[in-house]
Amino acid sequence: MVVTREEVKHLGWLAKLEMSDAELQRYTAQIEEIISYLNMLDTIPLEQVKPIAMKKKFSELRKDAPENFEDAVLGTRYRKDGFVKGPRMV
Amino acid sequence: MPLPLYTLEAGQVVEGIKNREFSAEEYISQLLGRIEKVEPKVNAFVTLNKEEGLNRARMLDKKIRDGEQSGPLAGVALSIKDNICTKGMKTTCASKMLESYIPAYDATVIKRLMSAGAIIIGKANLDEFAMGSTTEFSRHGPTRNPWDISRVSGGSSGGSAASVAALECTASLGSDTGGSVRCPASFCSVVGLKPTYGLVSRFGLVSYANSLEQIGPVGRTVSDVVSILNVIAGSDENDHTTINSNKPTYSLQERKGLRAGLVMEFTEGADPGVSKMIYNAADTLEKQGCKCEEVSLPSVQYALASYYTIATAEASSNLARYDNIRYGFDMNPEGYEWNSYFAKARSNFGEEAKRRIIVGSYVLSSGYYGKYYLKAHQVRSLLKHEMETLFKRYDVLIGPTMPILPFKIGERIDDPLKMYLVDIDTVVANLTGMPAISVPAGFADGLPVGLQIMADQFAEQTMLDIAYLFEQAAKVQRSPEL
Repeated sequence: MVVTREEVKHLGWLAKLEMSDAELQRYTAQIEEIISYLNMLDTIPLEQVKPIAMKKKFSELRKDAPENFEDAVLGTRYRKDGFVKGPRMV
Repeated sequence: MPLPLYTLEAGQVVEGIKNREFSAEEYISQLLGRIEKVEPKVNAFVTLNKEEGLNRARMLDKKIRDGEQSGPLAGVALSIKDNICTKGMKTTCASKMLESYIPAYDATVIKRLMSAGAIIIGKANLDEFAMGSTTEFSRHGPTRNPWDISRVSGGSSGGSAASVAALECTASLGSDTGGSVRCPASFCSVVGLKPTYGLVSRFGLVSYANSLEQIGPVGRTVSDVVSILNVIAGSDENDHTTINSNKPTYSLQERKGLRAGLVMEFTEGADPGVSKMIYNAADTLEKQGCKCEEVSLPSVQYALASYYTIATAEASSNLARYDNIRYGFDMNPEGYEWNSYFAKARSNFGEEAKRRIIVGSYVLSSGYYGKYYLKAHQVRSLLKHEMETLFKRYDVLIGPTMPILPFKIGERIDDPLKMYLVDIDTVVANLTGMPAISVPAGFADGLPVGLQIMADQFAEQTMLDIAYLFEQAAKVQRSPEL
């Protein structure tokens, strides 16, 4: 078995995705099939091939300056004193 | 009786409005009437921009009456894939996770189109976050193929291609990560172009797989696609992957004597009906003075494994940002602990998005980097090298856009791997960053077949030359009866 139900459950936890038992069951079978297909990558002799890479100098990047994001919080109605409300940390 | 205005090409719309043969308001009103009539069958739109669209049209008419400059796309009505940000207009990505998201800014492409006089008529349906090949993974329901509404429109820019084929807009913008503009263009018998990586700004495109995707135009003719590309192409300081060079301008020219390589791996794996149409297309090109030869691209066999490794890896990282706190659906964070809130909120991603997040997390897991991600990038390099070698001998590479004909809605939805395999001919252009276009090639069993033309990086003009030559010779029907 390439991918186990426990692995999918663990990855779901890491990726913060709640899944029902039925979903877990279905995804495990499907993901197993997908990963088995991707495993062909490991069979190709690629020692001589350099991976493709894109490079850009930091100096060429635009200035990382803050912009006014006042409008951007309109997406939520859970706000207090001009801040967006989130769940508690502990 | 004159043809209804909604059948016109972009160039005709611009001329007609400028010469005051009809007003922009008349044109937009006719399109809205057409949308009302055919939309229940096609389901190409997520949001319509009726009032604002009509207002823009009236403003444009006034400008023209006052003798002001109206722009190269004056009055052209566009549907915009709903993963491209439009200020003040919902951009949902066909996902519950962004169901009420209203962007505070316009994507660079939108800004450029608006200043060229274009009018946004609505936001087009897509697979959730552009992940899919059929537009069935949309929470707004599937977009149906205007040629046979029991079949898929292709994806992920299914709404874009279907709205163009169904005469609901002049043209459209889609995004292409692994074929998402070209696949639906092929299935709906319209033209769809994926530019060279870096030619068009991605600023304001909701990210799925940044190293692969480009925004691209969809139109009923090569000419329409060129008009839009001329407006959206060019560097942008907000997208550092755009190429720093003078803004290119493309034109329509029939050039004879171009050399085309027909990729054997693409025709061998295709449905016999599709393959036959592509050989016919090669014959048509030969009759027009092109030289066509069969060529081999051996690493194509690894392309899908490379593509799905990179695409899911980038997707899992991109989709990590959706926490439902700043925008999303209505779920009160009160009383929740951090982790449980996110896990619950994020369980509202659709099936395909969830699968890709998990597959992406898997291939990026500690210890697996060398087995998947690194290898995928090596394959990418190998493919690029093979393509570059071929482009020393050929101006373009051709083949089918899709190896199969549009299939029935629901036919493959429960078999993700089977669904992924249909992207075999399109992912090569994304992995190598090269441009590609799908042009209608004809029909097999009454269903559309697309001819894919690929060119070397930034050789869009050569690709367009051959696309235009083929279009003029083949004269394939673009819009069905509905």
